[in-house]
Amino acid sequence: MPTWLVALILAIWAYLCIYDILGPTLFMGFRPLISAFVTGLIIGDVQTGLMVGGTLELMALGVYTYGGATIPDFTVGGILGTYFGTRLGFEGGLALAIPAALLLTQVDILNRFLNFVFVHRADAYAEKGDSKGFDRMMYAYSHIIWGLSRAIPVFLAVAFGETVVQGVSNFFTANPWFNKGIQVTGGILPALGFAMLLKILPVSKYPAFLLVGFVMFAYLKVPLVGIAVAGVAIALAYQQLKYRAQEG
Amino acid sequence: MAVAEKKLTRADLMAAFWRYVFFFQLGWNYERMQSVGYAFTMIPILKKTRPTPEEFKEAFLTNLNFFNTNPVVGAPIIIGAHIALEEAGASLETTEGLKVGLMGPLAGVGDTLLWALYNSIIFSIGSVMALNGSVLGPILVILLVLIPYLAVRYWQFFWSYRQGTNLVAQLGGGAIARITEFATLVGLIVVGGFAPSIVKLTTPLQWSRVVTVRGEQVTQTVAVQPQLDAILPLMLPVLVTGLAYWLLKRGWTPVRVILVLVAIGFIGGALGIFG
Repeated sequence: MPTWLVALILAIWAYLCIYDILGPTLFMGFRPLISAFVTGLIIGDVQTGLMVGGTLELMALGVYTYGGATIPDFTVGGILGTYFGTRLGFEGGLALAIPAALLLTQVDILNRFLNFVFVHRADAYAEKGDSKGFDRMMYAYSHIIWGLSRAIPVFLAVAFGETVVQGVSNFFTANPWFNKGIQVTGGILPALGFAMLLKILPVSKYPAFLLVGFVMFAYLKVPLVGIAVAGVAIALAYQQLKYRAQEG
Repeated sequence: MAVAEKKLTRADLMAAFWRYVFFFQLGWNYERMQSVGYAFTMIPILKKTRPTPEEFKEAFLTNLNFFNTNPVVGAPIIIGAHIALEEAGASLETTEGLKVGLMGPLAGVGDTLLWALYNSIIFSIGSVMALNGSVLGPILVILLVLIPYLAVRYWQFFWSYRQGTNLVAQLGGGAIARITEFATLVGLIVVGGFAPSIVKLTTPLQWSRVVTVRGEQVTQTVAVQPQLDAILPLMLPVLVTGLAYWLLKRGWTPVRVILVLVAIGFIGGALGIFG
């Protein structure tokens, strides 16, 4: 495939990913695991997609737009990381994905600001009682700012990024310490996601439950699914005892 | 209570449901957040319940007021109850009161249940499978999103529509508090176990010295990592997660915390302190 065609297809994929999370949320393309995996399918390198997507996903685990806050754009990070990771190797892909995800936060803020045009148009339609016009706006172009805010950066990066990537590639082979730095960074970034989860959970009210989870993994080596099932069981038992005492 | 006249058909309800599913957050903006999608969802209903142009216009405008809650777990409950109230002929003050009263608490429940709990579990399992090279990782996650997400939205929407005006009493009767507590407890246990399993940080540092044993020069090497493990397994991942948590608690934005983590990881890795 010519580069411009790959750029176009990946741009359309980015558009669909962001439409999905704001609209139907059918496949969660917004998450890097999915955006990178499908990018891998499109460019014919599924393994790189799985590696880049899995790593970025773990970094972004608890990171969601609570209350509409802007978060690093791991969606686009996953797409670009996979695309460039095919040429640069896994670390190289990550080294580009993380700054891309951070840069795109600016675009997200601009996007959420520009979207005010829709609420003002909606006001105008409501003043006239014109629900047909409102419907047309929603179906035809309510998704356009969201979609293009992700599609355009992906298109530009893929279509014109080759020379930059060549330079990065040369730098990598000359400096192995750089790879090591990226690897360690990939390992500790998931700390942010867990910290965000802890922040929305009342840790100081129920510290025992956090410790139980830690002991299950660190000392008893229970696999992740087992911890989740045990978590449900412990919470059920706790509530049964608590509410039985209250009600009976 | 008198039986309210049924003004809405199943087709009206389904029209509202699909509008909600496919368009709910597309007009999201800082000024009024989900208001555009909310009004769009209600249009097929308002056309039936507010037959005169004046009434329709007023209801249309009112439903463009500020609105924000969790789009998947929470929003359908509010929409369903709102439709039931509309059908029963409630005033705009009543329906706005319902929306404003429920959107905050339900956002908290939805964000905890869906994003923090359900998604973190399925996505961490899917990611670990993907990192082992299995395409089943992402495929499993897609299936665990596609079907349950649609089902849970459909169920909330129609359950809440049928409950109608009883809903507020039901939710107020401790149901929300109990569900939130359940989600919180599971979330804490899961985070306690998942965080150290996924955050990876070790040190290759060694401390060595040359000692003389019976006249022979012997190099003794002590690796730092086993010493740390003996004090507390996974100490470094716990410390770095604690640092990120502490910074967020102090009001740092996620982006700034990422920059700190990148600095620690990158510099530490490049210098060989971590790795």
